[in-house]
Amino acid sequence: MNEQIYMDNCVTTPLAPEVLEAMQPYFSKEFWYPASFVSTGEATSSAVQEFKEIIAKAINAHEEELTFTSGGTLANNIALKGLAMAHSKKGRHIIVSLVDYPDLLTHAAYFEKMGFDLTYLESDELGYVSPDKLRAAVRPDTILFMSTMVNHVVGTIQPITEYAKVLSEQDHKIFFHVDGAQAFGKMPLDMQALGMDTFSISAHKIHGPQGVGALWVKNGTRVSPYVHGVKRFDSLQPGGLSLAGIAGFAKAVELVYADLDGNIRELRELSDYLLQELEKNIDYIELNGPRGEGRVCHNINVSIDYIEGESMAMMLDRKGITVATGSACASQGLKPSYVLMAMGKNHVQSHGSMKFTLSRYNTKEQIDYAGAELKIITERLRQLSPLYNAIKQQQEK
Amino acid sequence: MQYSEKVLQHFMNPQNVGKMEHPDSTATEGSPACGDQVTIYLKVDEASKVIEDVKFLSYGCASNIATASIVTEMAKGKTLDEAKKITWRDAMEALDGLPPVKAHCSVLAADTLQTAISNYEIAHGLKEVPNFSKETIIEELKKIIYPQVGEDIITLKMVKYVGFDNGEVLIDLNIMSFDQYRENVAEEIREHLEKYPEVKNIQINFPS
Repeated sequence: MNEQIYMDNCVTTPLAPEVLEAMQPYFSKEFWYPASFVSTGEATSSAVQEFKEIIAKAINAHEEELTFTSGGTLANNIALKGLAMAHSKKGRHIIVSLVDYPDLLTHAAYFEKMGFDLTYLESDELGYVSPDKLRAAVRPDTILFMSTMVNHVVGTIQPITEYAKVLSEQDHKIFFHVDGAQAFGKMPLDMQALGMDTFSISAHKIHGPQGVGALWVKNGTRVSPYVHGVKRFDSLQPGGLSLAGIAGFAKAVELVYADLDGNIRELRELSDYLLQELEKNIDYIELNGPRGEGRVCHNINVSIDYIEGESMAMMLDRKGITVATGSACASQGLKPSYVLMAMGKNHVQSHGSMKFTLSRYNTKEQIDYAGAELKIITERLRQLSPLYNAIKQQQEK
Repeated sequence: MQYSEKVLQHFMNPQNVGKMEHPDSTATEGSPACGDQVTIYLKVDEASKVIEDVKFLSYGCASNIATASIVTEMAKGKTLDEAKKITWRDAMEALDGLPPVKAHCSVLAADTLQTAISNYEIAHGLKEVPNFSKETIIEELKKIIYPQVGEDIITLKMVKYVGFDNGEVLIDLNIMSFDQYRENVAEEIREHLEKYPEVKNIQINFPS
């Protein structure tokens, strides 16, 4: 196969051709920033308004609840710092989990430095953080709980509505922020029903452009401004934004939501097929995270025993296949995946983990090819592996 | 992070791979927990002391496999005395360099070769089992690479004090608390020293 096979879609996704087309006018003739009274600015204002309505409708949000941001991380920053600052007089206790996305965990570390008291919830061996853990952790001075809806490593879907129920049972208000980057476009999302206060999404995870995202803030929620500047689009993210980016974002949403259920079904079929092929062709392999409905539709994370992930990923890369690994050797900080370690996996399982995240542009043929290559690579690396040789020797005895 | 063509060559087509039946000497270094482990087997001609054959097994990343491959290539056909001079810097050079964060892989490969040679010499009465002392600790610390720059911590003057008394190792390191590699370095020091039966306890101190 000569084509590039990209299976690292939880990091970023290829831009849909229709999205590029929708963005193009805003790079050239329709460059005006939104403004009143002048026809050029009016035209952009109404275009941005339309784009916002498209996105709001997709997630059952009110249009005024959405703020465009320059990405998911900025949306998380605006929500988390904004909520903590706005409500710190009522308490100094914040809850997060050990398996959350780095955006949330780096905030937790920052909040600790700022004098907040943090509780880190533990996950089970599937990456699931039980609402009972949250219930046991809340205190009279808890002001904020943050969670990642779909785990970025193993695809575990967290029980957001149950968390919200636990929080609503308390005598005082505890704000609830959710990072939705990996969930958006991969499962139905209803902002009015899920029960959180703020929610972040990102365009480039759903074949939209890089550098644009959105923050949903439930009507009536007080969030202190974190970014300051001149108001162009939204007050929580002042300053200029990419008009083309916003146009592309809306188009990407339109494409996914034209048939969300169909999209999800297809991705799940592809993922199931990938897992089935891997388990059929490679021995000493195990799935990390839940199997079936408790897992997001596009993520397959497996540990392949006795060999190391960077080697596997590099050999796949030489064959034009892009995947991710949780091996320490592949990380600049030389640390194994903290998510897998928090799930109770050992070092070898983490070093040998391979993460495939699929998109609608992946095909069964690509999966066949990648699976066959990985089988060959696994055999080659196991021949080299002292750990595998030791196991084989033991079995022969 | 970018690998040289030479690293990729040796990674994709490693030389001297596999388990050797009836080797004259063998050594295993590293640990699966740290994500890398190398075993080297030697076949040595008893009269000439020439390394006639050498094989390796590796659990580890691309640079781990590539450095084991190049080190075995370098050792093959050499006398033990010649092969004893092969250092991790030679291995790195022969591979046209490694990313700094990967330099420790070349240490592991060169170190395993040296241990295999030393094991042969001890088994054949060519040398005594060396006495463990403070100097042994310092020699081990010279093999600990600070990943950010790819140099060892002795050369980088990161070791402020080394003490050894009655099985107790005491090391003062000049690495600040915010350094992302502090735990890696400490872990690797432990791994290198714990294998000595003389070491009962290791205490590593950092500036507060």
